[in-house]
Amino acid sequence: MLTALVCGTLLLGFLTFALPKTADVTAKWYGVIVAGAGFVLVMFINPWNPPPQESTHWLSYPFSANYHLGVNGISYALVQLLTLCAVCALLGTKVPRQRNFVGLMLLLEGSMLGLFLARDLLLFALFWDAMLIPVFLLMIAWSVHPATAWRFLIYNVTGGLLLLLATAAYGWLYGTTDVIDTGVLPPLSDNWAPWIFIAFAIAFLVKTPVWPFHTWMPDTYAELPAPVAAVVGAVQSKAGLYGFITIGLPLFGPQMVRFAPWLITLGFIGLFYGAFIALTENDARKVVAYSSLSHLGLILAAIAVSNEYAVRGAVLYIVAHGYFTAAMFLIIGYVESREETRSLSRIGGLARGNPILAGAMGIAALAMLGLPGLAGFTGELFILVGIYQAGYVWLAGAALIAVILASAYMLRVYQGFMHGPEKPDLPQRPDLAPIEVFALVPLFAALVILGVYPITANYPDQAYSLVANNASMLENK
Amino acid sequence: MPHLLVPPFGNFDYNALFPLGIVAVTPLLVLLADLIMPSGEPRRGIAVGISVAGLLAAAYVLVEQYLSHQFGPAFGFGFVLGGFSIAFSLIIITAAIFSIMMVPTERDDEKEGPVCALMLWSTAGAMLMAGAADLMTIFLGLEILSLALYCLCGMIKGASEIRKREAREAALKYLILSSMATGFMLYGMALLFGTSGSVNLAALQAVPASNPLFTMGCGLFMIGVAFKIGLVPFHVWMPDVFEGAPIPATAYMSVVTKAAMLAVFARFLYSVLTPAGHEALIWPIWATAGLSMVVGNLAALSQIDMKRLLAYSGIAQLGYIMAAMAGTSTLGMRYALFYLGAYLFMNLGAFSVVALVSRDSEEDGHLSAFSGLGTRHPVLAAAMSFFLLSLAGLPPTAGFIGKILILASTVAAGYVWLAGLLILGTAISIYVYVKIIRIMYVHVDLAHIREIRPLSRAPWIGVWACAIATFVFGFYPVALHDVLPRIR
Repeated sequence: MLTALVCGTLLLGFLTFALPKTADVTAKWYGVIVAGAGFVLVMFINPWNPPPQESTHWLSYPFSANYHLGVNGISYALVQLLTLCAVCALLGTKVPRQRNFVGLMLLLEGSMLGLFLARDLLLFALFWDAMLIPVFLLMIAWSVHPATAWRFLIYNVTGGLLLLLATAAYGWLYGTTDVIDTGVLPPLSDNWAPWIFIAFAIAFLVKTPVWPFHTWMPDTYAELPAPVAAVVGAVQSKAGLYGFITIGLPLFGPQMVRFAPWLITLGFIGLFYGAFIALTENDARKVVAYSSLSHLGLILAAIAVSNEYAVRGAVLYIVAHGYFTAAMFLIIGYVESREETRSLSRIGGLARGNPILAGAMGIAALAMLGLPGLAGFTGELFILVGIYQAGYVWLAGAALIAVILASAYMLRVYQGFMHGPEKPDLPQRPDLAPIEVFALVPLFAALVILGVYPITANYPDQAYSLVANNASMLENK
Repeated sequence: MPHLLVPPFGNFDYNALFPLGIVAVTPLLVLLADLIMPSGEPRRGIAVGISVAGLLAAAYVLVEQYLSHQFGPAFGFGFVLGGFSIAFSLIIITAAIFSIMMVPTERDDEKEGPVCALMLWSTAGAMLMAGAADLMTIFLGLEILSLALYCLCGMIKGASEIRKREAREAALKYLILSSMATGFMLYGMALLFGTSGSVNLAALQAVPASNPLFTMGCGLFMIGVAFKIGLVPFHVWMPDVFEGAPIPATAYMSVVTKAAMLAVFARFLYSVLTPAGHEALIWPIWATAGLSMVVGNLAALSQIDMKRLLAYSGIAQLGYIMAAMAGTSTLGMRYALFYLGAYLFMNLGAFSVVALVSRDSEEDGHLSAFSGLGTRHPVLAAAMSFFLLSLAGLPPTAGFIGKILILASTVAAGYVWLAGLLILGTAISIYVYVKIIRIMYVHVDLAHIREIRPLSRAPWIGVWACAIATFVFGFYPVALHDVLPRIR
């Protein structure tokens, strides 16, 4: 079933190119149906007792590697997020050369599904590199400034190569790379483990991204077509954090503890740096990009703290962040398609003519600033409690300030776009079409459901037991 | 398992050289056919057909030899038949087949026969090098290989005067520089002979490393090797020659010369230096390999000619292959072989596409010839993208698996800095290769768009075969992996 999900999406993605070139509408609905079928399939997967596993022998030299797909709570949450975001993004798609666009989107979804379901480090590295190619092509063919695509590619491929190097070294030392989700493993020798961990960590930090590896991100998120930005900003940016949780914590427990202060520092620098730039940025997409830097920094710090509340909160917030970022990018995309700009200084008073658009943006902004009842709040609460419990009282207090800053910059975007004086030079365009609303509804539903009933917090049980084991192992030492 | 082929001769020496003999005699048939067939249309394709048949027969005999384990030294340790020589010979033969497929794309079929014949003789020399176990055989193989290549580089009929001059320039450049490198190598061989009193490689094991003549001989020998493989800083001739020579010759040189020299290097490394514990003597060669990865890719960045670009990319790729052997472990040898096989397919696949795209005798390899290929010829463009992604080491291709094997082997050998340089070089190379993909799909230069006028469909065989091989070894490397450990 997992293989059907991953390979099916990839195969059907390639098949898109068999459609006639001009079949824009057909291609779009084809994409929606494929992605929707993927989502339905995901909902039918039962990731608990026993979690589905599919494994075939792949490589024997220089280390054993398997084609091994599996699911645990965290990857299940992310796969849900991914498939739902893909459906919504494709629903809201309206671009030239739509057939190629949809095909690449499906390839992107397929490779990311593979990444989150891979249970073998080599397979993980393979999908990690593979998912860069569709994004690059989407950016270079559909964005205004294709040069940004190169920066994205060079940064991320360098990260991917470090991941590859680390995987090769790990496989050589350990004999096998089929190690994700296999329980606690005997730690590697102290000579090698820190270096391998650093290589993994840099790859993850670049992908997330975390300050100071973030310079590719704001431009990339600003340049990508809105549906792609929704998928990349919401889901692909989680690949790094996912890596820290499923590879960092279980396989490199002692190193995670040893480097925790560094990771927490980087996370908090990003938290404030992102928040302050988001406060002054004029480009709405870049505001969201920098807010992402800020939020993901907080999540990284939570993972580095690695106590029960923090890790559960991190997973919860990862998912919540995915949903509201996707919604926000789609909404900004709608604004852009209407007003042909997204700069805060040029847009104002849209709420009068476009009340539905304003309402949608309001919900997304509120979720983003962590209003209780929406998904962002529970995640932040868990994380703050976790950081507080770990004894970092001051950090928890500082994080609270950043949360307040989030309200400031999100309300600034909302207010600037929707309220205030109307700009006379802006074209009057119709409000959201039903299909555009329909693309947002599932995301909002998810935000409300997770806000009221944060079931995702229960997902990381397996991972958490690993964290606990690591902690006890360290104490025994 | 019954074998169809009984060893044809009573004498093992001749049996060992049998595949090489096939390759060396086939050109005579080619030239004979060229002589008796009436010129023009009926003669087309005959030379290529006979050559490929001869190479396939030789490959068949090699596989039979491998399966029936007819291994051993021949001609008093002058030539050693074993898994090692058979693997390299098969790689060389496959490369020769794909290169010969490109020959008929040339406008003038008058010279199909001579070109095929020279290429086959050159292949025979390369196969001799693959099995050579003494200095004389190495030199003999090298000369057979090179002499035919000097002619091949300059053989371009039916082209414009400018193009002809370029080809002649390439041939002359190759002749002069290559002879100089051969001179270095020969001097090194003479010194090595002086230390051990024997041309046999095995005899060199007994020479102490403290012997200054031995050190000097090793150094000179390695310079020759580095020149032929094209490692930085001995690489300067390569882009010029590749650019000037006709496409089949370029494609041929980009794999066969390098593979043959790699075989010699590996043999020297594994049967002389490693057993005697002298690996430290050739540390500079690892430095040149590391330098090649970075400089090769950096130089490829700014190239606007496809053949030059592939020349620089080949310099870097060979750096990767050398890095696999840095640990001088048997595993490293296998990974080098695996990557060489992957390189063979992705590189010759790319060359086949170049041969199809730059059809006319001008052989315009300018990058703009690829502009808009994605709309003009989607299959060709998709295949080219696939080969380029493989050269860049992105999944799911043979290049990806090959690279991770090399990384594992260099890290295991303790050459972490080499692995770091590999990562750096690869990161640069992404830009090089993806740039071409962008030109094919996105950056459409309308002024340069030309129709593809197929003169022959033969290179398509190369394109498809290489694409399938690159894909299979990338997705299911076990296919090659289960064979590799048995080699040596």
